[in-house]
Amino acid sequence: MPRITINGKTVEVKEGSTIIQAFKESGQDICHYCWHPGLSVAGVCRLCMVQIEGMPRLQIACNTEVKDGMVVNNTSDTVKETVRWGLDFHLINHPLDCPICDQAGECGLQDQYMKFGSYDPEMAEKKVKKHKVVDLGPTVVLDSERCILCSRCVRFTDEVSKTHELGIFNRGDRSEIGTVEGKPLDNKYSLNTVDICPVGALTSKDFRFRQRVWYLKEGDTICSGCSTGCNVKVHFNEEGVWRVKPVYNKEVNGHWMCDEGRDTYKHVNLKVRMQAAQVGQSGAWQLIEPAEALRQVGPKIRDLAKTGKSDKISLLITGQYTNEEYESLFKMAKELKISKAYHWFNKAKDKDNFDGILLRGDRNPNTHGLLDAAKAHGIQLGSLEQFSSGASGAEMAIVAGPEDFAHFPELESILKAAAGAKLLVWLSSGVPNGLSEVSCETFAIPTKTYIEKMGSFTNHAGLKQCFKVATTIVPQALNLSEICELIQGRELNWALRPKAVGGAKANYAIAEQGAL
Amino acid sequence: MSLVKRPSSAASWYLPGILAGMAFTFRKMIFNLFHQKKMLTLNYPEEQYQYSARFKGNHVLTVKKDGSIRCTACMLCATNCPAQCIKITAAESEDPSVEKYPIAYEIDVLRCVYCGFCEEACPVDAIRMGPEWQTAALNGSKFAYDIQQLAYRPQLRGGVVSVLDEDERHHAGI
Repeated sequence: MPRITINGKTVEVKEGSTIIQAFKESGQDICHYCWHPGLSVAGVCRLCMVQIEGMPRLQIACNTEVKDGMVVNNTSDTVKETVRWGLDFHLINHPLDCPICDQAGECGLQDQYMKFGSYDPEMAEKKVKKHKVVDLGPTVVLDSERCILCSRCVRFTDEVSKTHELGIFNRGDRSEIGTVEGKPLDNKYSLNTVDICPVGALTSKDFRFRQRVWYLKEGDTICSGCSTGCNVKVHFNEEGVWRVKPVYNKEVNGHWMCDEGRDTYKHVNLKVRMQAAQVGQSGAWQLIEPAEALRQVGPKIRDLAKTGKSDKISLLITGQYTNEEYESLFKMAKELKISKAYHWFNKAKDKDNFDGILLRGDRNPNTHGLLDAAKAHGIQLGSLEQFSSGASGAEMAIVAGPEDFAHFPELESILKAAAGAKLLVWLSSGVPNGLSEVSCETFAIPTKTYIEKMGSFTNHAGLKQCFKVATTIVPQALNLSEICELIQGRELNWALRPKAVGGAKANYAIAEQGAL
Repeated sequence: MSLVKRPSSAASWYLPGILAGMAFTFRKMIFNLFHQKKMLTLNYPEEQYQYSARFKGNHVLTVKKDGSIRCTACMLCATNCPAQCIKITAAESEDPSVEKYPIAYEIDVLRCVYCGFCEEACPVDAIRMGPEWQTAALNGSKFAYDIQQLAYRPQLRGGVVSVLDEDERHHAGI
């Protein structure tokens, strides 16, 4: 293992690593654009200049391998001067339209300028005008003027997605990123180019102009889009969740995530959520507190169990809940002697599909965990078809339904089949389409989504990943463990419940009075 | 700090004080009757006082030369606002030369503290605080000023043109 001295600090790094990696490992600042830990080395931005003792000229840290006994620094006046004027060259044609740029606030160029630049510009020439608002594909918009040609996005499509859509066209100061005609940037990982773009040149159509990033808070969680279990962070404010971005995890997703995973914030926002329990049947609905609804339905379930009719209760479970929730669900099933449990496996045919990078055909975050928990409790899970055929005429159906309806095309037919029972307890975070037409007695209870609860998901490979509460969107919603407690007649500690996040501030007088 | 003022014995002789006050009032009244031009008060609302252009009164959203709104929806004013009374919804413009514009811009003037930070934060001279100071209205809802009110109210006679012109900037190569 070579030892290297960086700014007077000695660090030991892996054989074959570059100086910039040593800088990152030792936690020291170094200016860079084109280098990205997940991509190959390009060496085009010339900003990571370092002085190596014994070498006559400055070297780029990203493409120089560490040798034992190297003495490196990037704090000398020569290096500072080089980086400063390197930055000046990058900003020659940059429009500096930070106020209308979506990247402002999380922009590499802004950060590096404040850290390493801070000079008076000496450029008297006019800026070269390039194409603005270029539609690259279904997800990404390009502003060539802001681009500093670091080629990260080009390398991404070449090396990671291997779709080769992007390229650099023209020469000199007319160089531009672009696509070939008839081949737009359209792959399942295209939005990663937006993440790795150090400036605001590539922006996501889904997030563009929706929020300024400094209004958003971050919360780490696990993507619920498929069984890969990518580590992600959600960006939210009091109006809801706005986007999902990947977090580096070497063992699971590396630096990336898929575009479909980025849509997993859409089903958690208030508009599409069930906000109170719906109790009643076919149209005559009563909206009450979820806990109150469970206090009403709990005795009915317990009575059935007491009179020995437990076998008339069927339990249908999706793979969208956490390990801890399954644990309490199966514990309850044992206590109430419910033996008929079925696994609602959506898109079961595609479950072994894998696109070679991240996305898997099993669109549930925790199928593995569900099967493990059932096995541990000795419960045999039946199939979805068995549930559909056996539900009609049963006393009661308890459905731990889906969170993200987008991956459940059979949702309505299952709801119809479940409604064949005399009493239906439907648990889901949103309101399913056919719910108002259900004719049996129904208790629809809102559940929490993956960003509102803590717990763990077991991914396809059996890796258990824990996550914490990011934010609360529907404070009345309950998680499966809490629902099980209430069904068994035990109370929760209401003092510990999350409080509602204040919505957009509205003037009281205006909100109350309205127009004349 | 609180001051306790004990009633002095002189205060019990209130009649001289009242007479002195009345004398002052009547002296002014008689003076004003004969010198009406020198009177300090105005017959509000028929007569209104004009503050200087630097007065920080009601907000004005400036417009471009073609009359469209100057604001670029960068939200710096909303970020800088200590009263959090500005609410902007940005949208993509149909016009290729304009990238981002406010589809809704709302100032809750009952919440506004008229500090002028929005004016200071604005990079394109899109918001100013004008000399208008009358904010009376019949109803709470009238105090949420929208784009129509902020940029095109009748008092502005078609809008105040911003000093910053995009075309001039483009020609200058900025």
